[in-house]
Amino acid sequence: MAHSVKKETRRKAHRVIMRRVNRKDYRMSSRLKWLFLSGVVITLLAFPLAYGQQNKFKLKPGAQGKLCLECHDAFKEKLKNPFVHTPVKTGECSECHNPHSSSHGKLLDEDPNKICNKCHEGIVPKNSKSSHKVVMEGNCVKCHDPHASNNKFALLKPGNELCFSCHKTMGDAVTKAKFKHSPVEKGCLNCHNPHASAKAEHLLKNEIVALCVECHKPDSPAFVRQHANYPVAKADCSSCHDAHGSNKAGILFDNVHAPVANKGCTQCHEAATSPTPFKTKRAGYELCRGCHSTMMSDTFNKNRIHWPLVDKKGCLSCHEPHASKEKKLLIANVASLCGTCHTDTMEKQEKYAEMEKQEKAAVAASKGKIQEKGAVAHSPVMDGSCLACHAPHASDNVFLMTNPSQVELCGTCHEWLKHSSHPIGAKIIDSRNKNLTVQCLSCHRSHGTGYKYLNPFPTITDLCTQCHKQYKR
Amino acid sequence: MRVLLKILLALAVLSLPMKSFGAETAKLRYSQSIYFDDRGGGLKQPEGVACNDKSVLIVGDTGNGRLLRYTVQDKNIQAGNEVKIPQLPYPIRVQMNSKGEIFGLDGKQRRIVRLSPTGEFKDYVNPEGLPSPSSFIPRSFKIDPTDRFYILDIFSERVLVTGPDGKYQRHITFPKSYGFFSDLAVDPKGGVLLIDSVRKMVFAAQKDSKEFTLLTGTLKQYANFPTYITTDNRGMIYVVDENGSGIVILGQDGSFLGRQLNAGWNEGLLYYPSQMCINEKGEVFIADRGNSRVQIFTLVK
Repeated sequence: MAHSVKKETRRKAHRVIMRRVNRKDYRMSSRLKWLFLSGVVITLLAFPLAYGQQNKFKLKPGAQGKLCLECHDAFKEKLKNPFVHTPVKTGECSECHNPHSSSHGKLLDEDPNKICNKCHEGIVPKNSKSSHKVVMEGNCVKCHDPHASNNKFALLKPGNELCFSCHKTMGDAVTKAKFKHSPVEKGCLNCHNPHASAKAEHLLKNEIVALCVECHKPDSPAFVRQHANYPVAKADCSSCHDAHGSNKAGILFDNVHAPVANKGCTQCHEAATSPTPFKTKRAGYELCRGCHSTMMSDTFNKNRIHWPLVDKKGCLSCHEPHASKEKKLLIANVASLCGTCHTDTMEKQEKYAEMEKQEKAAVAASKGKIQEKGAVAHSPVMDGSCLACHAPHASDNVFLMTNPSQVELCGTCHEWLKHSSHPIGAKIIDSRNKNLTVQCLSCHRSHGTGYKYLNPFPTITDLCTQCHKQYKR
Repeated sequence: MRVLLKILLALAVLSLPMKSFGAETAKLRYSQSIYFDDRGGGLKQPEGVACNDKSVLIVGDTGNGRLLRYTVQDKNIQAGNEVKIPQLPYPIRVQMNSKGEIFGLDGKQRRIVRLSPTGEFKDYVNPEGLPSPSSFIPRSFKIDPTDRFYILDIFSERVLVTGPDGKYQRHITFPKSYGFFSDLAVDPKGGVLLIDSVRKMVFAAQKDSKEFTLLTGTLKQYANFPTYITTDNRGMIYVVDENGSGIVILGQDGSFLGRQLNAGWNEGLLYYPSQMCINEKGEVFIADRGNSRVQIFTLVK
């Protein structure tokens, strides 16, 4: 009896368990079903979307690319190039072109300066320290063929040839340099990133010293000896060396400061063994005065000084202390150098140059109907020959002019004005102001005004009637 | 109708405070020009002007290497006595203190010279007890109402503050990044302003502050090459745009309020102006260097 009761209890328990298991199974299977169904729905929904995106022009199967080549027959040759742009290779012409219509040239699907960014978005790192202007402007086709080319990365030209097609001056200098830097010859990309650099200026792959010490070992005895025991690995190599090659041994810049050439570093700096070896013995112009005393005395005896000469940087406001590409160890060519501070003058020149270009184009287009009038720009200013009129250090004259007489100064180029011009000179009083005499700058402004003949007024009548008031209309 | 009138009246009354708290602008109205000294000799490229409330006007007649002392009272200009001393052969900036003593910065020697109110040489202003570096080159200087000197030392990149006796009191270091400072000003609250000619910006240090901060963004839109800065008794800032031949007016907070005057030769126009001085009466004196004259304007607010 007891046995049969036990059996019955076990059976009941088994039934309960089985019911639970069945319920769980049912729940599991219904979940799986749901999962499966949603997967199917998602796939069904996503497929047309993705397909639609891929095949947005509803091309017939197999028609991609092939269809385009039916008309663009010559393009087949292009595709034989070894380096083909991936979308071109996979026949996805419509990735970039709209086969029907477009607001952009070449039926491009987007602004040509932005279209590459669709796929190549991260080409310029965020917070990059320098970037290539053409990249920022979206002018990728300046370097790359968007379809295919003979060169890696579909570049238009191989290696340095491509870079030097824009950087012509650099190309010439590299070719002509007597002492060459081998990494430059092997390729600009040894040191530079073509698009942007997250680490350094000038698209350099790394900071200058870090880049140099990859090849040059600063602890080698020869290196130490060459640098007179100074710990230059903590300095700036480009202060003396031209990384692109030069005509001086050791690829020093072409113009070297005599103490550097003679390894006389201690003339200006503390000893190499000092805790502060690069510290100069004196500050500002006082350091340079030691050797350049005659020039300094001459400068300080003038009424007007070019103030940056006596500020903390002193002579180094304009000159390199060690070596330079430019004569007189200037930091840059005169136009760029003066333009660093006198932006107001130099920026105007760009505007005037553009005005002159436009006028010349209009004259050419008119086939003789329009005659070219006077220049709006003064060529010495435009060419950056600031020193034709101004003394860079000091002068007794306003504007640091090299000659107290404007007539004499202007007459060095405009010789005719000394014998055939409106009465000018120290004896001719300006009718507008008894303290002024009629000088060249009474009617012209030497840096340009945007009007013809450097006239400060829009018309010549406006100018002349300033004094000759009886003719004012 | 009455209701409408009442509403209009209420609006008019409410708008009054708005007007009074709104940004104040100032205009320069031409008054007259000074061309000659007391003997009829013409000015030559004057770069300095200093004025005070006792109607004294000192002109740094730079091109002639002298100072001229005028009195200007109710549009009446008197004298123009010449002060010519060997210690000040090329005065490019002039100032006066509360005692009427005259101070001139010499462009050739780059030293500040102290003269008595009547123009006799007294001494050079040499700050005493300077912390290292001891070298200094004054590009400009100002004197506050308590006769303290504020010297723009471009050699050691700082503004030196000394007592009336020339004893060092403190200094304010130049900001880390700047182009070139041509001038400084002390506002009525004792704050110091610097004008950066290259970056065309104004920096400011509050009274007793040890550092400068930017007061304005670039003024490139309004000025070509600003070289002089001053304030009026209410703290409005006036910047002389030397290459642009105009005056840029800024609020105390550096906000742009307007640009006055233009380049030219006729009266009321400027040609490479240099120093500017505003007195309590609202008379404005501008050394119009390129036109070899001093022009007087009235400040209209």
